[in-house]
Amino acid sequence: MRRRAYLPGPAPAALILLAGILMALPLFTSSRSTFTMVNMITTSAVFALSYNLLVGYTGILSLGHALFFGSSAYIVGIMMRHVGTSLWILFMAVLISMVFAVLAGLFVGYLTLRLKTIYYAMVTLAVAELLVILAEKSRSLTGGLDGLNYRVPEFFQNAVVVYYLVLIYAIVALFLVRRFLDSPTGKVLVSIRENEQRASSLGFDVFRYKLISSVAAGLLASLTGVVFAIDNRFVMTSALAVDRTLEALFITIIGGVGTLPGPFIGAAVYHLAADWLSSLAKVHAIFERWPILFGGLYIVITLTMPGGIVSAYYRLRLRRPRG
Amino acid sequence: MDVVIILTINGLATGLLLFMMAAGLSVIFGLMGIMNFAHGAFFMLGSYASTWTYLKTGNFALAMLAGTAVGTFIGFLTERSILRPVYGKPLAQILITLGAFIVLNEMVKAVWGPNVIPSPVPPLLEGEFRVGGVLVSRYRIFIIFFGVSTAATVQWLLNRTRLGMIVRAGVENAEMIQILGVNIRRVFAAVFLLGTALASLGGTMIGPTLGQIGPFVSTQYLLLGFIVVVIGGLGSLIGSLVAGVLVGLMNNYVVWLYPPAAMPLNIILMSLILLVKPTGLFGKEGAH
Repeated sequence: MRRRAYLPGPAPAALILLAGILMALPLFTSSRSTFTMVNMITTSAVFALSYNLLVGYTGILSLGHALFFGSSAYIVGIMMRHVGTSLWILFMAVLISMVFAVLAGLFVGYLTLRLKTIYYAMVTLAVAELLVILAEKSRSLTGGLDGLNYRVPEFFQNAVVVYYLVLIYAIVALFLVRRFLDSPTGKVLVSIRENEQRASSLGFDVFRYKLISSVAAGLLASLTGVVFAIDNRFVMTSALAVDRTLEALFITIIGGVGTLPGPFIGAAVYHLAADWLSSLAKVHAIFERWPILFGGLYIVITLTMPGGIVSAYYRLRLRRPRG
Repeated sequence: MDVVIILTINGLATGLLLFMMAAGLSVIFGLMGIMNFAHGAFFMLGSYASTWTYLKTGNFALAMLAGTAVGTFIGFLTERSILRPVYGKPLAQILITLGAFIVLNEMVKAVWGPNVIPSPVPPLLEGEFRVGGVLVSRYRIFIIFFGVSTAATVQWLLNRTRLGMIVRAGVENAEMIQILGVNIRRVFAAVFLLGTALASLGGTMIGPTLGQIGPFVSTQYLLLGFIVVVIGGLGSLIGSLVAGVLVGLMNNYVVWLYPPAAMPLNIILMSLILLVKPTGLFGKEGAH
């Protein structure tokens, strides 16, 4: 048992404890910025979790994963802005986003997943850039480069409600992804990552399983985009851009590729550090370019400890003599 | 009719620049199976270093030399320091080149700022030629001459030299030429350098075409490079040339008719190729 779909040990307990603390947080503080930070970390983490399904568990690299995230954020934004702000319309927006995500996941997957994995990266990048251009050009619908402001249903205008929405969504998503990875389908995905030829000679239709992975990751990213849109009440083209995907890649690599807690740890590290570093911009202008530091860290981690923080932790733990 | 001629000339010029971007991507992939994302950054480094040199000295030849040198040198450092340790691990290679892409992008922003900077056409190449009543931009003609001779040189290198022979054999079967006693890593390092040099050379010429350069250059041309490589066929140099010219021409015609349609059409063309002939126009069966 060298590699497992998810890592055992105290991680679930720690996560439950963390979830408990976060659940109780609104009892102690009503600070807007704390909520904003936690929401941002959580949505980023779930987005990275969906990315990890592809990269970490199936071994497919995507460079346009933001296309799922941003498209649904835009769908919610456009519906709220131009159709209406009732809960019913929000529900319709969620449905449309999901249908779009399934179709897009099937489209890019069908084109590329029979080929080397690199084709998936290139084609998703192209499709995501296409959506960026569309969002920039159709100004009347999306507000172009200025972005799109919109109101959300009455119910979601309360900061605490949105906070719980994000948190509960993240917990449910984590639970579902874990169930998915424990299912026979999830096991096949991991076996494809480990050795595609072997999986294929065992009789599994590798192409079909990769398509499932593409669609599942797309759906989760798309739902995360909906939650982001409700929380943010503003969407601009950066939600679709390649930087958004690279952020998920950073978070996954730093936290731990192919681990469940990885994206959450990575997202916390990423956003807290980014916040801190950009606040240092007053000290020296170099800190405005903080992604350099992340890029460097990312390279070092890829070179020296594939598996990121989570696997480094487990390696340290396993090194200790057992009683 | 005049418009068609002008658009064709502009399209050829764009196409040859795209070829310079895509050639390295394609051959590096053919040889080592690496998709080098840092390539877009080398292209951008070339454009920034040459524009900066040109604005400082006013000498365009010197600027092109400086741009190519800077891009190639950074490419050399990248290959030596971070790419070499991950040979033979495909996913790590891709991730590393992505990391290099991000770091180099941010470094360019740190040095030259995040805003666009103007990139004028040198006076010698400014203005138009009158060819049979049609005014044709001198600078585009220069790019076409330069691009064609570069393509011919690369083609000669690949088909008539020992290194080229090894590279072609390596694209067919890398393991076999290792068995024959060729140090594939050294060959690969050489190809990586050549590809980087081509990309940064292409980058030095992009500035005056666009009139300005900015950080957008790297992503935009990397994406176009990918599209060209997929259409032409991974690992095929001639494929990159044909597909580069094809995409360049199509873009210029379409931009004249209806600008927003350019990128969507590129992507539709790429999707069609992937559906009908996934190996690309000139790709070999084994290469994918």
